[in-house]
Formats: sequence, C-alpha cells, structure tokens
Amino acid sequence: MKYKQRIFIDTLMKGIFKSAGFLVLALLGGIFFMLMYNAVAFFFEVSPLDFITGSEWNPTAAQPVYGILPLIASTTLVSLGAMLIAIPLGIGTAAFISEYAGSKLKNILKPVIEMLAAVPSVVIGFLGIVVLGPQIAEMNNLPNGLNALNGAILLAIMALPTIITISEDAIHSVPQTYREASYGLGASRWQTLQKVTIPAAAPGIIAAVMLGLGRAIGETMTVLMATGNASVFPKGFFDSVKTITATIAIEMGEVPYQTTHYYALFAIAIVLFFMTLAANLLGEYYINRFRKYHAA
Amino acid sequence: MVKSTHAGTFLLLPLLVFITSSCSNNNHTIKIKGSDTEVNLAVNLAEQFSKADPSFSISVSGGGSGLGITSLMNGQADMANSSRPLTDQEKLLFQKKDIRLKTIMFAEDATAFVVHKDNPLVEIDIPTLGRLLSGEIVNWKSVSPLDLPVNIYGRQSSSGTYSFVKERLNISYSPRAKEMTGNAQILESIKMDRSGIGYVGAGYISQKAGGGNVVRVLKIKEHPGYQAVSPLDPEAIKKREYFFQRPLYQFIPLTSWIKVKPFIEYETRGTGRQIIENSGYYLIE
Repeated sequence: MKYKQRIFIDTLMKGIFKSAGFLVLALLGGIFFMLMYNAVAFFFEVSPLDFITGSEWNPTAAQPVYGILPLIASTTLVSLGAMLIAIPLGIGTAAFISEYAGSKLKNILKPVIEMLAAVPSVVIGFLGIVVLGPQIAEMNNLPNGLNALNGAILLAIMALPTIITISEDAIHSVPQTYREASYGLGASRWQTLQKVTIPAAAPGIIAAVMLGLGRAIGETMTVLMATGNASVFPKGFFDSVKTITATIAIEMGEVPYQTTHYYALFAIAIVLFFMTLAANLLGEYYINRFRKYHAA
Repeated sequence: MVKSTHAGTFLLLPLLVFITSSCSNNNHTIKIKGSDTEVNLAVNLAEQFSKADPSFSISVSGGGSGLGITSLMNGQADMANSSRPLTDQEKLLFQKKDIRLKTIMFAEDATAFVVHKDNPLVEIDIPTLGRLLSGEIVNWKSVSPLDLPVNIYGRQSSSGTYSFVKERLNISYSPRAKEMTGNAQILESIKMDRSGIGYVGAGYISQKAGGGNVVRVLKIKEHPGYQAVSPLDPEAIKKREYFFQRPLYQFIPLTSWIKVKPFIEYETRGTGRQIIENSGYYLIE
C-alpha cells in the first residue's frame, strides 16, 4: 500500500511542478499576445514605416505624430551612458573582490554591494533631482541638471550590483590552476588578471553586462524623475530625454482607452520588450556558454 | 481616530486608510485623489476639518486631474479633485459605467506663468506666450533683454493645468518642453534656471501661502497694448479679467455623496472658505 501512495505523491508533485513551469510560459505568452494584439490595432491606423522612421513623438498635438525614433534614441543614450560608467567600475570592483581583497573585506563588501540593489528606484530618482541634477548643472554651467547624463549616472548605480555580483562569480570560478600556471611562468598578479583570469571569465562578464543593460533599459521611475522628459530628438548627454519606459508611465495614466494613442503605447511597449529581450537573451547565451566551457 | 495627512506621505496613506477602515465600522473615511494643483489646498482643508470633527478620517493624494477622474471610474476614490471639467470622452465612460456624479466648484484658481528672478520680463501678451510655449520662439532675445535659449517647464498630459493652458492658448506644446511631475517641481526648477518659463497654480506663488518672491510672476495681457493683469490681484480675479482663471472642480459619485457632504459643506460655507483664501486661491461668489 505504501508503495502506491509514494507513486501517487510523486506523480501529483510532478504534475504540480510541471503546471507551475507552464504557467510562467503561459504568462509570458499572454503578455506578448496582449501587447501584439493592441499594437496591431495601432498599425492599422499608422503605417509601421512612419512609426519606425518618424523623428517626432507628439500624440497630443492637433495633428498627432507617432515617431518612435526620439524615444529609442533616448533609451539608447541613457542605457549606453550607464554602461560606459558601470562596466569599468563593475568589472574593476569584481576583480578587486575576487583577486585582491582579503577574506574579511570581501565578507563586508559583497553583502554591501548586494544591498545597493535593494535601494528603491524612486529613492535613486529622488537623489537625482535634489543632489545629482543641481551638481551637474553647476559643474557644466547648464540651466538645469535634468538630462541624459543624470539618468545615465543613476542607472549605472542601479546596474552596478548586477554587474559586480555576476562578474565576481565568473572571475571567482576560473580554476585556480590557471592562475598557478601563470604565476609559474613568472607573470605578475596584474598580468595574470589581465591576460589569463579576465579572458577566461569573459563569457560570464559579458553575461553580467547584458543583464545589467537589461535592467537599465527597463528602469522607469528613476529616468522619469531625473531626465526631464522632453520628447525632442536628443543631441547629446546634456539634453533632456524621454525614454520609452517614461513615456508609457506618463501617458498611460490618462490616455482614453481604445484610441490611437492608447494603441501607440502598446506599440512602443513591444519595441521595449524586444530591446530588453535581446539584452537578456544575449546574457543568457553567454552564461550558458560560460557554464559549458567550465563543465568541460 | 485622528489622522493627519500630508502630501509627502501620500504613499503610505492607502495603507493607513486600509488599516483604519478595516478596524472601524463608522463610515467616515474619505479618499480624495486627483489634481496636483489642488492637493495642498485639499490637505489643508482635510486637516482642519478632521480637527473640527475627529470622527472623520480623510486621505488626500495628487497625481493629476486625469488620474483622479480615472480613480472614480475604477471605484478607487470617494472624490476626485480636478482643475478641468470632464471631457466628452470621460462623460461617456461614466455613463457607460452608470456612475452618476455631483459636481462642486469650490474655488477659483489663476494659473500663473513664472520665470527666473533674473529675467527682466515682467509682462507678456497672449500671442507671444503662445509662440513661446509652442516652441516657435527659441531664444529669449526677441521678448526680453536676456540672450538665452528658452527652457519650458510644463506638466505631464495627465495634468488638468497642462490641458487648460494648451486649450486656452490654442497651441500644441513644443516637444522640447520638459514634463515635470508637479507644480512644486516646476517652481524648484524655475528658481534655479535663468532661462526657464513654467506654469503653476495660484496657491504655489501666493504670498499668503508662503510662496512667491523666489520667482517672477508674469502679468498677462490679452493683446499687445492691453492692460496687463497679475494672477495675484484679487480684484481682477473677481472681475474675471485674468486670462488664465478657472474654477477648481470636485467630482463626487452619488454613492459617496452622503459621506462626503459634511466636508463639502465645510469647504463651501464654513471655516473652509477662510482656508481657501489663505492658501492663495480665490472664492467663487
């Protein structure tokens, strides 16, 4: 009898876990389908070519224009800026923690960095308005500090924990024998790190960067608060920008349902979805490659 | 059950309201949402009112007129503050959902246009203002001795003030206009930005409410050569001479009316009138 019971529990549990797994898939599929469904309604009214190539976004004008280029440019500018700051800082910190720091310092640094990820985005955005923005304005003699640079610095802070934690894991898991071989040939610590350890950990580091980038592209509250939200095509880091996420957050609140503007927000959401999906897929791809490489 | 409400802690309020309402059975909990222009005034009124009658517990949050009206549709508020009337689309939606509303006009606002203290400009006419905000004029040179690019600080499209100014000037805003989250943020930016121009509700620049003096409030004239009128001039507002004056609305679904009524009476008849004036807004005769 006991045997039958065990079999029963096993199949039941298998069923439960399987449905949990499929539920996640169904959710993703559902979200994608809903976005697509509404975006298609938009493309019946505005030609996809105008949407992709239009360089003006002004849905509340007398003649509404739905050009996504300034929004994509804004999101790209802010995220790339964030990565320019976060990548050297993140990899440097990861290398320090894993290669140079003593175990005591390491035990303090790691949890502290992970705590950085726990700071709510609205708090970071607030700091952008009251501290960073005025500083940027003063240092560069600008009328105001609500610009792409402000957003980029804040997003870099938010992407740092992801980049540091994953890169540190990658650098740490490079086999000790690699380093010993390098030292054995007379290489210094820096030479070993630069020529052996980091290249060996490269796929993991790229994965870390991609996941950090995914976080930066999708972040909403911080950029909404700190970048000024002007929907004109940005010319540089000192221009106010309005990212895709901020546009959706600002305009969704009051747009009347089932109008072209409403569908337009779904259309730009699709674009955003693909941008973050691409970053995350690339990250996952490199993580897998890294795992295989070390399993061999 | 006295609970004071502040705009700054509005994130906590829904939670507090939930806790307090779930452990008490009286029906004196009122939730007000909407216009950012009205939020400070509404908080003042609610505070004084619940001091006078401690059995009431009122929570007030901002977010924009559009947001308040949407909350009414979704049953998330007992009253919506709005600095604009309902649009036809919204009226239709309320009809569809079979929600009937009472409309109260409890105060008058004068939207003020503000620039930095260092900007020599003191008055502006409507056509020029329209060209400034629509982005036609990109440098201050042509309207004031200042040689700086114009920086527009506006509101987001969920704001009643945003649509009010847009309709009154009959323009569409320049895409270079920044979209700020509230009156206070606009004022803060103008304070620092010598090349800025923005618009805020009268309550934010009034001397009585402790504002003003940090920015220059522009006098408005309808056409070049006309008499320029200040939004801070109560006589002119009474005579309806200021171009950007408008009533402030409150919409209440009939289902919440009985519960909200004492509060409405307080603000339209009682001591509330005093508070409205002291907050820098004007009374409707």
